[in-house]
Amino acid sequence: MRLLVAALLLATPLAAQETIASREEGLAAWDRIFEKVSHPRCTNCHVGDSGQPMWNGLGYGVDTVHGMGVLADQTRIGALSTPCRTCHVTADRANTVPHAPPHIDDAWRLPPVELEWLGKSSAEICTQMRNPETNDGNDIAELAEHLRTSPFVAWGYAPGAGRSAPDGTPEDIAADVEIWGAAGAPCD
Amino acid sequence: MRLRVNGTEHEVDVEDDMPLLWVLRDELGITGPKYGCGIAQCGACTVHVDGVAVRSCQLAAADVDGEVTTIEGLGTPQALHAVQAAWVDHQVAQCGYCQSGQIMQAASLLDLNPEPTDEQIDAAMSGNLCRCGTYPRIRAAIKTAAVKLQGV
Repeated sequence: MRLLVAALLLATPLAAQETIASREEGLAAWDRIFEKVSHPRCTNCHVGDSGQPMWNGLGYGVDTVHGMGVLADQTRIGALSTPCRTCHVTADRANTVPHAPPHIDDAWRLPPVELEWLGKSSAEICTQMRNPETNDGNDIAELAEHLRTSPFVAWGYAPGAGRSAPDGTPEDIAADVEIWGAAGAPCD
Repeated sequence: MRLRVNGTEHEVDVEDDMPLLWVLRDELGITGPKYGCGIAQCGACTVHVDGVAVRSCQLAAADVDGEVTTIEGLGTPQALHAVQAAWVDHQVAQCGYCQSGQIMQAASLLDLNPEPTDEQIDAAMSGNLCRCGTYPRIRAAIKTAAVKLQGV
């Protein structure tokens, strides 16, 4: 029997082996993904058409909106009032100063409005994320690639200066997205 | 490194991570931008980089990627920028410490959004604190400047 299994494994292309995941494994992976994407480090910017970023999870209290009356508006970069980059400069430097605006090596901005996560349930975000028409046009492989390469995601996991962050690494959530996708992106 | 400030090229010998505000004030003697908090919570250090308002306390010298304009380069006493003229008309300033940052922020706002709503003005200026409470005059002056700029 062992020999038969080994022979079957050898006969199966590696890529095909990696794209098989059970529904249970997929749902478990989604639960781990939701635990991360519902963290304030993510939802503070994944806000809806209010264009109002949040300061949750920073010690300022629950449902605290971003200070200074910041409005990212429909441009998502605050172009009609104060641009995000007025304070969140673009710099590839460590974030070391508490309460200073964090910076990354990219233009600070809100995600597309369709990627609203703040206040959304696991099922709502799951349904949103598995559909390219509501996830900024990404298939599963592109979502995983985004998680591995985005300066925003990298910063979210290591925001510096004592800020809270979700457990794990960008690689962990990217791998979970691949498992979830391999299981057919189940939501319930 | 080289920095272009108010139309003039400067060669400065500073650490890469020295904040632009320090370079302007301590190395170049350009003291219009003020130090208030050092963490972008007050707006007193606001300058423009390629026309967009930036908190110069947050921008490291080596990360400056455009031309810097300070209040000294926005207008001249003989040819005030429309925002500066409106500030005079409305006698906005009281102690004045925050005002160069306020004016630079307002000028950037009107460059990006020539007809801002009251909500957009309030949002844009909420990051610039004024301990004297000149906010009503700031908003009135911005409205005056917006009208004047529209007529240009």
